[in-house]
Amino acid sequence: MNLAVDSPLWLWALPLALAPWFSAGMSASAYPWLALLPPDLPSLAVSVLLRVLAVGATAALVLGLAGLHQSGQTVERIGQGADIVLLLDRSNSMDNTFAGQAAQDGSEESKTAAARRLLADFTGQRQHDRIGLVEYSTSPLFVLPLTANKAAVQAAIAASRYPALAYTNVSKGLAMALDFFNAMETGGSRLILLISDGAAAIDKDSELLLRTAFKQRGVRLYWVFLRTAHSPGIFSQPADPRDDNAEAMPELYLHRFFQSLAIPYQAYEAENPGAMQQAIADINRLEHLPVHYFQQLPKKDLSAACYQWAAALLAVLLAAKLAEARL
Amino acid sequence: MPGSLIRDWRFWCLAVSWLLAVYVLTGPKIRQEQPVFRLIAIADITRSMNATDYQIHGKALSRLDFVKHSLQALAKKLPCQSELGLGVFTERRSTLLFEPIEVCSGYNEISAALEKLDWRMAWAADSRIAGGLLSTLEMLPKSNAGLLFMTDGHEAPPPNPRYKPDFSGVRNKHKGMIVGVGGLARVAIPKFNAKGQLEGVYGPDDVPHRSTFGESDLNPEAIQGYNARNAPFGNETVIGEEHLTQLHETYLQQLSVEAGLGYHRLTDVDALMQSLNTAGLAVTVRAESDQRWQPALAALLLLALVYCGLAFAAAF
Repeated sequence: MNLAVDSPLWLWALPLALAPWFSAGMSASAYPWLALLPPDLPSLAVSVLLRVLAVGATAALVLGLAGLHQSGQTVERIGQGADIVLLLDRSNSMDNTFAGQAAQDGSEESKTAAARRLLADFTGQRQHDRIGLVEYSTSPLFVLPLTANKAAVQAAIAASRYPALAYTNVSKGLAMALDFFNAMETGGSRLILLISDGAAAIDKDSELLLRTAFKQRGVRLYWVFLRTAHSPGIFSQPADPRDDNAEAMPELYLHRFFQSLAIPYQAYEAENPGAMQQAIADINRLEHLPVHYFQQLPKKDLSAACYQWAAALLAVLLAAKLAEARL
Repeated sequence: MPGSLIRDWRFWCLAVSWLLAVYVLTGPKIRQEQPVFRLIAIADITRSMNATDYQIHGKALSRLDFVKHSLQALAKKLPCQSELGLGVFTERRSTLLFEPIEVCSGYNEISAALEKLDWRMAWAADSRIAGGLLSTLEMLPKSNAGLLFMTDGHEAPPPNPRYKPDFSGVRNKHKGMIVGVGGLARVAIPKFNAKGQLEGVYGPDDVPHRSTFGESDLNPEAIQGYNARNAPFGNETVIGEEHLTQLHETYLQQLSVEAGLGYHRLTDVDALMQSLNTAGLAVTVRAESDQRWQPALAALLLLALVYCGLAFAAAF
């Protein structure tokens, strides 16, 4: 349980709560000789009680003013939920249509536009997931951390409507996406959803790093490959043995690399927005397995409770005041 | 003895205090006009932004780190319902990472994204600021978002005045301002190797000191060794101070006039906030604001008076 306040400056008023220890809050009555009174335990108890009530009322008002709240509460849940990192290709070609032409107004939508539309739908349906976003082109761009803030996720997906950037450097994008799972404490479903329309050869150094990172972090990988017409796909085999290398057929080699990782991996090749929708619906279905996860609760405001206590304590004090004997 | 009760000021204090506390429980709110902002901040992530000429608590900070720090502070300071979007600029254009996100509910996300801003995000080299500003203004739709273009104005390679971007198409179409980042003294630009490790600073031989694109803006007769085809910029080696960097304030001010934007030099977040207000970037919305603190404070003071009354009386 973590208690915190919104405006700590109010807490400077807390010493006011000490005042009742020094003053009874009653008008003094003249009495000839106090020592004449016998010590009386019930009176003492009432006197202490009234002071405690006054301390409580003052403190409750101050804490209410300061905006006391509880934060950092987590509850353990079992449900449908996953940590998903969307890894979105922002290379130039993504702004072309599936037919490989520049998207024009009114014509077929571009690959980015289709991806944006379908991802917005997909993330909208995934109510219990935390979603992060990485874009990559020549270098990776960190966009959003894993978050349950759906409005933020939609704002980030919407921003891909601006023109795409440059080249396709998939290994750096993957490395950044894997970093999202670096310091995570709990288990749960972790997956990377790679959406790209091309691939690039992965150099030996990065290959090794990616291999260990995928293994250690227990990440599942989905690759939705948006295939442009008349270009090599993930599953096409080289017609000429001289083309059987990563430079000539980066898509095939990236696919082989993913297969060799010994992690749960699924590739989809989509040649039109409909096929892409199919692939995403498939992932949506597969990822509805129950998982065990911790949910962070939003902060719980306690100022209303403070004010309720203050009102109740003040009511008792007022009643005591009404019962006060006057000489 | 009701008479004496009515004369007892402590009774009245307690009674009114209690009534106020009960009133607090009803959750008093007022609807009031509140200024909110919808902003898109575009941060320059070119190399000159790595120059360290800011300080916070005695610690040297790079321009980019200071931009991140300032925007995080701004996101915290903006009233709720304000929205902040983020983008980066390099080469001759910018890209948007996310559209404006509400700052109170999305502070963690905005702050994390700012934290991760890095010069290595750049998809290409070059720092063509005027061109970048123009393409940014053309790219962003005429939304109600104000633009904060945060840069030090250090163009690399240096601009050729003959080929200035024409802002007439976008002039006064957008609200916003150029935010000048950096100090006025020339400082060195840190140089990093391929692994991102610091490797000294850029020297005079590392950078071009003049534009060599197209034709020179000078009269050919004034150019040493001029040859229209082979050496339109002459044959002299130019060694300037382009490897050092400073805030090019007059240049940015001139750009801001051409683009119909405001200009602000980044110092601290309060000054930035003030500039945002005076630049008319605020939009007024009617918002409900919690007014419980007013009766609660009055109740607290009355209650305190009951117990500190004698002390007050003694003091006066």
